[in-house]
Amino acid sequence: MADQDKDQKDKTEKKRQRDDSAQPVVLPGIHRYQFFSNLKDRALTKNLNRLMMFGIITTLGVDIIKPLFRGLTQTIYCYECRACYATQDNCPVGIPFQAELVVASRVSDYRRFINNGGLKCVRCGNCTSFCVQYIELQEVFGQMQTITMDAIRKGKVPKGVLVRAMEEGLVGRDFIADVADVLGKRT
Amino acid sequence: MEILGYITLTIFIAAMLLMLFRKLNFPVQTVLIAVSLICLVVGAVFRSFTEGWVGVILLPNEMIGGIILHPITALLAGLFLSGALTASGGFGALKILINKLRKTPIGLAGTLVILIQLPVIASLPCGRIIGAALLPLLFAFGFEGGMGLLTRAQLIVLIGSFARNAFGSCGPSPIGGVGQIGEGFLGAFFPTASEGILRAPQAFSLMLGTAITALFLKFISMKLYPKDVSLRDLPEGGMEKKRESEVRGSFRGYLSLMIFLASLLISIFQPFGKMPVQTVLVAGGILVIILCRITIRDMMGGIILLPVSAMAAGFLAAGALAATGGFNALGNILKGFSNIPFLGIAGMLAIFVQIQTILPLSCSRILTAALVPVLYLFGPAKFDLITWPQLAIVMAAYMINATTSCGPSPLGGAGMMAEGTMRAETGYIKGAFTFSSMAVMAPLAAIYMKFLTLSSFPASGLQFERNVWMIIGFTVIIFAANAIMIKLTNIFLSGNVNRDWWYQLLGFVIPGAIGGAILAFCLYETAFLPIIQGTIGGIIAALLIGLMVPKRLGPTETVE
Repeated sequence: MADQDKDQKDKTEKKRQRDDSAQPVVLPGIHRYQFFSNLKDRALTKNLNRLMMFGIITTLGVDIIKPLFRGLTQTIYCYECRACYATQDNCPVGIPFQAELVVASRVSDYRRFINNGGLKCVRCGNCTSFCVQYIELQEVFGQMQTITMDAIRKGKVPKGVLVRAMEEGLVGRDFIADVADVLGKRT
Repeated sequence: MEILGYITLTIFIAAMLLMLFRKLNFPVQTVLIAVSLICLVVGAVFRSFTEGWVGVILLPNEMIGGIILHPITALLAGLFLSGALTASGGFGALKILINKLRKTPIGLAGTLVILIQLPVIASLPCGRIIGAALLPLLFAFGFEGGMGLLTRAQLIVLIGSFARNAFGSCGPSPIGGVGQIGEGFLGAFFPTASEGILRAPQAFSLMLGTAITALFLKFISMKLYPKDVSLRDLPEGGMEKKRESEVRGSFRGYLSLMIFLASLLISIFQPFGKMPVQTVLVAGGILVIILCRITIRDMMGGIILLPVSAMAAGFLAAGALAATGGFNALGNILKGFSNIPFLGIAGMLAIFVQIQTILPLSCSRILTAALVPVLYLFGPAKFDLITWPQLAIVMAAYMINATTSCGPSPLGGAGMMAEGTMRAETGYIKGAFTFSSMAVMAPLAAIYMKFLTLSSFPASGLQFERNVWMIIGFTVIIFAANAIMIKLTNIFLSGNVNRDWWYQLLGFVIPGAIGGAILAFCLYETAFLPIIQGTIGGIIAALLIGLMVPKRLGPTETVE
């Protein structure tokens, strides 16, 4: 029994060794399992990893630069803690998820903005008092409303999203005529 | 659209499992970005049929919306200040202070306990800030770090339990913590909820969960993965030599330490009005540059890119899932569980509160933002499956589980920083971290919420004393049961990888069942059926959590 345990241990020890030279060479300088392993000197995955890292950095850059150019700098400071959800009945139009609107504004996600009631916001600023970062939410939402309406007029928002927003009362009276007009033209 | 959500959720979970079981041995960032791209392509194909090109071109923006900048910048700010402290000799000064502190009546043990619980005392909005700043200091307690005060085993326990405490401290933080997501929702019924209804249950359970983590690391992890930490132990007689070697502190060091402490205090108490933690920390770093005369390059040296990029990749994958309806699918699946007879609502909730421990992502905010609205809808706001007080209890249990989930996440989670600090393979702390979240923190938070917080929020605090005794009783039971379970598992561990893993799984299932039963008791008191359903839910959750704890950590390539 003890011998068996010892054999098992030895086997495990062997398995643990990172011995490159024991692997068959499939191409000069490349061992078979390097295609799949997490070794430092991967040949094929090296560039893939670089590419992915480049992708991450680019996306982070876009995430920060985009709101800067669109005049929505404040959205960068959002903690996404959702403390603003405590607005509850203090929101005159019953928007439940204010933070969603902030994130949508940061990345210009029109669908998210409309679906969460961004177009019915009356910019009263009641939610601002709940923000732990003192972001002027009404300013952010107002700016994003302008950007979203612009995108709607240019046909950048799918028709289905607009139809659903109209059906569910997610478009405020400031924009309802414009949205109806756009929908009318599209049909 | 619904089917698309199920497809992308399956792709994501499959990739996660393959990575976890080492069938996909690429760096975490590569896999996550690849998953995001695949989800994006699948989503684009679906949308091209349903919404046309207009819908497709919106997808990248929707994916980027998954990135939460705050934890990324918080981590960078923490690393930035930590770099400044290292370069200016601040850590040296701290070592001297700690040396002096251990000669006081609280001794070394007392000093370490305060250090371990410091994150929950500070409660910053992201545990990575304090983690990045203080983990290098904890490393210094060992032989390789220079102080030689602790052995290898002690250092593993110290770093692991500190990390457990840190990477859950974002929950009770009143300055942008994750717990505020739940508090915002509970404000619909409890008028003062946003002032911190979830804070005390989270802090309380985190404190005790940290202690269980230490026990687990000592008795289970070290035995399961004996060779997966490359920290060196003290050589024979080395400890005395190390202790004798005097560390000298410089004026610059003390000054930078003072600036660091001042920055932390300003971040926590915000005496100059509300401002982002990052701003305070970076301002502190700049002060160190000016006053302690270090270069920006020294400071940048503290920044480690891997946790940042892995976290960003995790956010992107989550963004891709959200954009394609993956989280909606997850919500539907969870709600569907309540229709299964042997689970019922109690069993479904027992699984729901553990979902982020089952599926740990790089930042708890990702899933919390997606699932807390689902939980809210289970309450009187829509489905009426539970009452408001019951919702508050589930929210407390869910939230502590959620906020601690970035710790054990192998997808760029904060715990990887701790594993790096203790020179361990990825996954070393997973068992300890998930166990404490599942078996200790969730039930304790529920108990605390039921017997203390809820009785002080509405005006029904008549049975205060009795409730306090209930909490003490349950705390002792939960703590003792889990400590005994850990010790028993430790006795059975024999060095046989496969057998030990099964023992560990059993060690997860029993406390999981107890946790589920306690949660059901908190919700339905002594009703028999819900307690049985809660127990079953707890067992299922524990099985899923236990199955994901790696058998072995090192490479598994066989040498022919």
